Amino acid sequence: MDVSDLKKNAKVELDGHPYVVVDFQFVKPGKGQGLYKCKLKNMITGAVLDRTWRSGEKFDAANVESRKMQFLFANDEQFTFMDTETYDQLEVSADIIGDDRHFLLDNLDTDVLFYNDRAVGVSLPSHVVMEVTETEPGVKGDTATNTTKSATVQTGYQVQVPLFIKQGEKIKIDTRTGDYVERVND
Amino acid sequence: MTLSLSDRVGLWDAALAAMRVSFRGRGLREVQTPTRVEAPAIEPFIEPIAAPPGFLATSPELWMKRLRCHGGGDMFQIAPVFRQGEIGDLHREEFRLLEWYRDGDGIQAITDDVERIVGAVFEAARPWVQRPVQAPERWRRVRFLDWLRDVLGLTLLGNESAADLVEAVGAVQPSLCEGLVDWGTAQPPADVARLHAWTAFFSNVCDQHLDRWLAERAGQGEGVHLEAFPAPLCALARLDGQGLALRVESHVGGRELANGYVELRDDRVQRRRFETVNGLRMLVGSPRLPIDAEFLADLASPGLPPTVGCALGVDRLIMLAVGAETLDAVALAPAGVGGAL
Repeated sequence: MDVSDLKKNAKVELDGHPYVVVDFQFVKPGKGQGLYKCKLKNMITGAVLDRTWRSGEKFDAANVESRKMQFLFANDEQFTFMDTETYDQLEVSADIIGDDRHFLLDNLDTDVLFYNDRAVGVSLPSHVVMEVTETEPGVKGDTATNTTKSATVQTGYQVQVPLFIKQGEKIKIDTRTGDYVERVND
Repeated sequence: MTLSLSDRVGLWDAALAAMRVSFRGRGLREVQTPTRVEAPAIEPFIEPIAAPPGFLATSPELWMKRLRCHGGGDMFQIAPVFRQGEIGDLHREEFRLLEWYRDGDGIQAITDDVERIVGAVFEAARPWVQRPVQAPERWRRVRFLDWLRDVLGLTLLGNESAADLVEAVGAVQPSLCEGLVDWGTAQPPADVARLHAWTAFFSNVCDQHLDRWLAERAGQGEGVHLEAFPAPLCALARLDGQGLALRVESHVGGRELANGYVELRDDRVQRRRFETVNGLRMLVGSPRLPIDAEFLADLASPGLPPTVGCALGVDRLIMLAVGAETLDAVALAPAGVGGAL
């Protein structure tokens, strides 16, 4: 593939291993060649490396296959998914899931990514709706500096939310940035 | 940092007004030239977007120079320009260039203009500043080859062939040689090879050293005018008596903001330069671009008066003026085509 297809979350194959782009920077002096500076994470070992491509170069896309599965439950070490057609269950280690664990709700339909038949990660929907399980009541007043407060959602994830959000309310979160998007009214 | 949409509208309004006032005060008149053009300015690493039967302009340069050939005088424009594939925190495919051309034969007039415009826009943007901004308190002029020698210990003449450049640079810092001689099985003509090597070298220098040095200067309140570039780095500039290009790059807040030139007026040299650049484009697998025959004809007759010109990134200047770090933070619309606000 052409390097112009590189972006965050792109899947790249290097030396026979699948990598996902976790950080990406396009750098270009006005009259010079563009450089695509990537931080790549090995989808199997979790090792991180830096790699810079020059504009015009090509890279190998990792052949990562996606299968629809439902997230069932998790413990500290394993996340269990179910193939909704065969009812087969699959355990994926927490290392592989990584930070995506913050957005996995029970019974969430998601895509599990496979490289050579080995689970290497999940592909989440771009937004999830979660319930705020804990947050301080918003205190009006110092709005010049304090426009947000911390809230915990049902997965234990902590996110900055506007002051008007109350415990028990549902909020939409962008899974790509981890940021609050909006309140959701049932 | 988050500016509301209304804030951003106010900011752009104030910044654009400040630019206009600044140029009108110096006698430059505002023009509007075609955005869809038959032939774009030909650059090694700038890709025009097709708009049949022509292209979207990557810069208003050729049209503005043509206007000057026909008596248009000193002029400026705030132009929409389009560059394929330039997407990142500091890049958008569609952005605005403040571009101006005036009578002159020295770089000083250009750098004076840049300093004045930067000052005016930083001043105008003050009501929207959300965090400390790095407004330049003073400006430093640096000659590129001198900088290479003083900061990197690399002594170059500025006209080295591709092979000589690789040898000289490799002896001092091999990492700067990445991608310099990447021709596959092609055997390019010497001038094309040299253009390619110097351009790749410059990109490496920026990425590995210059960007950081510029950021340090910005931290000390200094804007930087980088001038006297090696000829192989400048397709469209005149050369001085030492064979160095009369080109200046101005940097604010550690970011490249403007490119100025004493403009080339000789149509035959200009045609040769376009052809060399096309040669480089084909070497690296980019499409050959049509040469603007009308532009060359106007350069030949009636001819371009002695001209200095500059292009400045409007989006970037506005970003820097409020202390933001991405173009998105000050943009009025998402990058790309369409999208939600």
